[in-house]
Amino acid sequence: MMTQDAGGDVRLSGISKKYGSFTAVHPLDLTVPQGSFFALLGASGCGKTTTLRMIAGLEEPSSGSVSLGDHDVTALPPYKRPVNTVFQSYALFPHLDIYENVAFGLRRRGIKSVKKQVDTMLELVQLGEQARKKPHQLSGGQQQRVAVARALINHPKVLLLDEPLGALDLKLRRQMQLELKRIQTEVGITFIHVTHDQEEAMTMADTVAVMNGGRVEQLGSPADLYENPQSTFVANFLGTSNLIEAEVDTKTGDDIVLKAGGGKLTLPGARCSAPTVTGGKVLVGIRPEKIALVHADDAGEIPAGRNRITGRIADSSFIGVSTQYVIDSPVCPEFEVYAQNVDRDLRLVPGTEVVLHWSPAHTFGLDAAQSLLAGTTGDAGIQAVGEEAA
Amino acid sequence: MSTLTEAPPPLAPAPERKPPRRRGRLVPYWLLLPGILWLLVFFALPMVYQASTSVQTGSLEEGYQVTWHLATYWDALTEYWPQFLRSVLYAGCATVLCLILGYPLAYLIAFRAGRWRNVVLILVIAPFFTSFLIRTLAWKTILADGGPVVGALNSLGVLDVTNWLGLTAGDRVLATPLAVICGLTYNFLPFMILPLYASLERIDQRLHEAAGDLYATPFTTFRRVTFPLSMPGVVSGTLLTFIPASGDYVNADLLGSTDTRMIGNVIQTQFLRVLDYPTAAALSFILMAAILIMVTVYIRKAGTEDLV
Repeated sequence: MMTQDAGGDVRLSGISKKYGSFTAVHPLDLTVPQGSFFALLGASGCGKTTTLRMIAGLEEPSSGSVSLGDHDVTALPPYKRPVNTVFQSYALFPHLDIYENVAFGLRRRGIKSVKKQVDTMLELVQLGEQARKKPHQLSGGQQQRVAVARALINHPKVLLLDEPLGALDLKLRRQMQLELKRIQTEVGITFIHVTHDQEEAMTMADTVAVMNGGRVEQLGSPADLYENPQSTFVANFLGTSNLIEAEVDTKTGDDIVLKAGGGKLTLPGARCSAPTVTGGKVLVGIRPEKIALVHADDAGEIPAGRNRITGRIADSSFIGVSTQYVIDSPVCPEFEVYAQNVDRDLRLVPGTEVVLHWSPAHTFGLDAAQSLLAGTTGDAGIQAVGEEAA
Repeated sequence: MSTLTEAPPPLAPAPERKPPRRRGRLVPYWLLLPGILWLLVFFALPMVYQASTSVQTGSLEEGYQVTWHLATYWDALTEYWPQFLRSVLYAGCATVLCLILGYPLAYLIAFRAGRWRNVVLILVIAPFFTSFLIRTLAWKTILADGGPVVGALNSLGVLDVTNWLGLTAGDRVLATPLAVICGLTYNFLPFMILPLYASLERIDQRLHEAAGDLYATPFTTFRRVTFPLSMPGVVSGTLLTFIPASGDYVNADLLGSTDTRMIGNVIQTQFLRVLDYPTAAALSFILMAAILIMVTVYIRKAGTEDLV
C-alpha cells in the first residue's frame, strides 16, 4: 500500500502559519523525499511542531500548500489524509485496551478482520503480551511503542512524530531511537520527526532541517550540518563551536587569510558562507574536537601551515574519554578544546600558557552580522534566539 | 517525646524506634468526628426512628406501639403502586430529557465556550439563586392555558403528539403529566449539566486530534472517544437527576393534578394531612429500596468502573 505510487514525496510550498500578529512559521518550502527519515530540529517555539501539525491537517496553514505525492491535501481534514501522527503525549485512548488502540485506524476505515494485522504490528513493537491491557497499565516506553504501532498499522504515506521520546528517560530514549530507526528501515515509510534534541536528530535522521524563529536555518545531512554550519545558530545549536571575530586580510587562490588578535588564520574560501571583501569582518568557526593543544614551550613542534592561536588554560575537566579545556585567548574569551586522552601532557593545568592549532580545512566562516550566541543554551543564547524571532 | 530528644541512642541506627508522634495517627479520626456525628444525628437516628414507625400500629389519639406489623408495607405497595410507577416514569422521562438537553450544552461549555466558559457555567447555576418553589410557580405562568407557549405548541402540532402519548389532555398543558415532566426537567437540569461538564472537561483534547488523525470523522470521534470517556459524567448526572426527581412532590403539586400524583405527594399527604405515620414511613422505605436496586443495576450495566 505504501509503495504503490512512486511520487510519495511530501512537498510544502510557501506554507506559513500566523496566530494574530505572531508568525509561528514563515513561508516555507520543503521537500521530504519518500522513504527518508527527516528531522525538524529546533528549540521550543521555533515552529517545528506547527509545521508538523500543518502536514497532519491539525492546523490550517495561513498560506501555501501541502502535497503528498501528486495530491494537494491542503484542504483535506486530518481524517482524510494518508498520514498518521505519534503524539508527544502519545494520546492513547484510555478507555480502549492496547489491541483496540492499535486497531482503531483500521476499524475506522471499515476493515473488519483486523486481528492478523494488529497481532503482526504488536509483534513488531514487541508488545504481543500486553494486547489486553489498558494504556495506563503500561510503562512510558511501552505506551510510546503502542503510539507508534497505532500509527504505523495504517501504512501511512508519512509518519509524523512529534517529540515522541520527550517523556522518556535518557537510557530508554537511546534505546527507542535505535528501535524507531530499525522500524523505519523495516517498513520504508517516510518519517518526519520533530525534536529539540540535536543528538536525537543526528543519530536518527538522514536529513535534518534546523529551524529557528519560524524559518529553516539550514537543511542537510547530519554530518554536513555539523561540519559546514551556515549560521551561528546552527554552529551553536548542533554541538559546540568556537567563534572568532576576524578581519579579511588577503585572498590567495582558494584560501582567505584573516587577521585575528594579531595573528593570522587561514580559511578555505569554499567553507565560508559569508561574502568576503578585504577589510571586511568574518566569523571564523572551529569545533572543539578539531583543535590540538600544546604547551607554549613546545610551540616549535607544530607543523607549518596550521592555524594557531595562543592562550592560557582557564579551566580543565577530565571526563574520561577526553579532557575538556577552556582557554583564555586574546581572540576569544572562552575557547573550548576537547582533547582525546591518548597521551596526556601533565603540564597542561589551569594557568599554563598554551598554543592551539588546527588544520585550516576544518575552519568554517560565517557572516559576522549575526549574534555570536545564537543557538547557545545560556540566557544570552535564548535572548539572542528571541531577538532573531522578533 | 522529650525523653527521646534528651537521650538519643548514641550512633545507633535506631531501627526499632517507636513512632514519634502517636497522637498524629489519631488526627484523621478526629477530623472525621464532626461528619460522623452529623450523619449519626441527622441520618442514622431518623432512619432507625422511621424504620420503627413503619412497623408500628395505633392511632394518633391512643398512641403508637411497635407491633412488627409488616403488613403495612404490603398494603402501602398494593394501594399506591400506580404512584410508584408514575414516579419512576416521570423521573425517567425527566432524566432522559435532561440528558438530551444537557449533553450538548455541557459539550459546548467544555470545548467551545472559550473565554465565555465561566459566564455560561454561572448562568447554568444562576436559577439556584431563586427559591425552588418560586421557579416552579413561574412554570405555572409559562404553561398557563391559552398562554403563548401552549398556543405555539398547539399550532406546531406538538400537543397532538403528546395527547396521543397521553401526556397532555386537549388544549391544556398545565395539570398534565407533561407539565410535571417539564418542571422536573427544568429543576434538575443543572444537576445533569454540571457532572457532564466536569467529566467532558477532563478529556484530553489531543485524544480528539488523535482520533481524527486515525481516520475518525468528527461524529465517529464523538461516538467512539468522547462519549465513552464522558460516561462517568453521564452516570453521575443521571443519578443526581433521577434520584431526587423520583422523590419530588413540589412539581407534581404545583404543575400537576390529582391524576399526576407522584409517590412524594403520597408520602407528604400521609405524613402531614392523613397523619398515618406508619404508612408514610413504609412508603419512604419502599421508595428508598426501589431506588437502591435500580441504581445498583444501572451502575452495573453502565460499567463505569472500567473507566479511568
